[in-house]
Amino acid sequence: MAEVNIICIGCPLGCTATLTIGDGGEVAAITGCECKAGEKYVVEEYKNPVRVLTATVVTQGSPQPLLPVRTAVPIPKAKLLPGMKVLAKTRVKPPVKIGDVVIPNLLDTGIDVASTSDLAI
Amino acid sequence: MTLRDVDVAVIGSGPAGMAAAIKAKETGAENVVIMERAEQLGGLLHQCIHNGFGLLYFKEDLTGPEYAHRFVEKVMDSGVRPLLQTMVVGISPHRDVTAVSSQEGYITFRAKSIVLAMGCRERTRGALNIPGGRPAGIFTAGTAQRLVNVEGFVPGKKVVILGSGDVGMIMARRLTLEGAKVEAVVEILPYVGGLIRNEVQCLHDFNIPLLLEHTVSRIHGEKRVEAVTVARVDKDKNPIAGTGRQIECDTLLLSVGLIPENELSLMAGVELAPITGGPVVDEGRQTSVPGIFAGGNVVHVHDLVDNVSWESELAGQSAAEFIIGGKRAAGRRVNLKPGRNIRYIVPHTVSGEKEVSLYMRVNEPEEDVRLKVGSIMTKTVRAVKPGEMLKLELSQAQLSKLKEGTAEIVVDCEERGDR
Repeated sequence: MAEVNIICIGCPLGCTATLTIGDGGEVAAITGCECKAGEKYVVEEYKNPVRVLTATVVTQGSPQPLLPVRTAVPIPKAKLLPGMKVLAKTRVKPPVKIGDVVIPNLLDTGIDVASTSDLAI
Repeated sequence: MTLRDVDVAVIGSGPAGMAAAIKAKETGAENVVIMERAEQLGGLLHQCIHNGFGLLYFKEDLTGPEYAHRFVEKVMDSGVRPLLQTMVVGISPHRDVTAVSSQEGYITFRAKSIVLAMGCRERTRGALNIPGGRPAGIFTAGTAQRLVNVEGFVPGKKVVILGSGDVGMIMARRLTLEGAKVEAVVEILPYVGGLIRNEVQCLHDFNIPLLLEHTVSRIHGEKRVEAVTVARVDKDKNPIAGTGRQIECDTLLLSVGLIPENELSLMAGVELAPITGGPVVDEGRQTSVPGIFAGGNVVHVHDLVDNVSWESELAGQSAAEFIIGGKRAAGRRVNLKPGRNIRYIVPHTVSGEKEVSLYMRVNEPEEDVRLKVGSIMTKTVRAVKPGEMLKLELSQAQLSKLKEGTAEIVVDCEERGDR
């Protein structure tokens, strides 16, 4: 048995939940959460923490030096820094429309990186 | 000099200005213009490339540019006229708006009503008096955000951030993702300034140390920042002798507060509130000068853009109604007075005639409290924090409990004895 502390971000209270993890990796008990929604969040955050990656890619042939991009949906937290390495190597040329896919299937997550802005010539 | 008549002049095209202009048009004002000094609509949203915008307004998790895009499209469809590269340099109490425009030069607009939507600006090193030289490498967090996200420059490799407001924490994550090392986020107060989600997702996620009750007591370096001294502070927020230690860095970011941008408001004779630094407004966001309205961060600094949009829609609607209905009779005005652990309340007055949302902040973090609006409403809240704005909705029914002749309602954040 091991214990993991996770802070809930659902409200200003910011409960620190303590999860007791069984030998099989399953969540055996939760203490410290004030509400059910918080308990659900911390279990998800323990099992599979995910974040939206937002960043920029360098442009070529546009007066705008950078194009802001995002992953369409959240990706595993551990993929954030490796994902940045892929973005650093990427170049985009105008025209780009908001929502256009800039990098398909980032790091085999099945999730695309898309433009969050138009890019003019 | 060119003179032109307009119905509603909106100053600034950030989230506040766009929402106000669209709503003014929808309410029935015909000739609505937005004056924007930059080359595009959207204001600061373009440099806020992170997500977390629109969770309340659109029920979607958008980035700043995506949130801006939604409103820009609406502006274009609505028939509002955007005037870009047009910087307002003066407003008279009689609603003459003077601007310099790259297209038309020096131009004066005679507006029937005005919405102030200039937003806010950052406090700088000058506001803090940190000892040390004047080396390169000291930036406000927002300036660094523009450099990194729009211009394409990362300002340094080893960074210390003073202040744990949202922009500071977001820049800690952003710089880390771009390969810089953020040595510490230093906060003078005993608690984080920004939202809890930013503390977790910007600092904890990347193991960035957060030093509470600490400050930067000296900046070292002559040509370029070489280090900062970080010291623990006492109860009066003064550095404690002997607690200082040097952190080597080439960059210091300041995220030490935002100030509503009200130079133009003052020229128009608009009364400002000392705590918020923004105009004193009624529930329709009319300022002390009839026909001049205000919404968004120019009134008080918000933490969520969604509330900026909603508040500014109110201002835009009122600005249109001011023209259409003629001058409203000065109805009842009841002052809202901050009581126990309430720092400020916006609007500053209510009429009691229609439902109203109160936006407020507390002075100190507290748990298990009861928010009490005079004798007309109470609401229990599990936790309050200065960094998280509170919104209280008062219904028509609750307001009808106000007695005739009431001049003032005190709003308190009380301790709950029953827990």
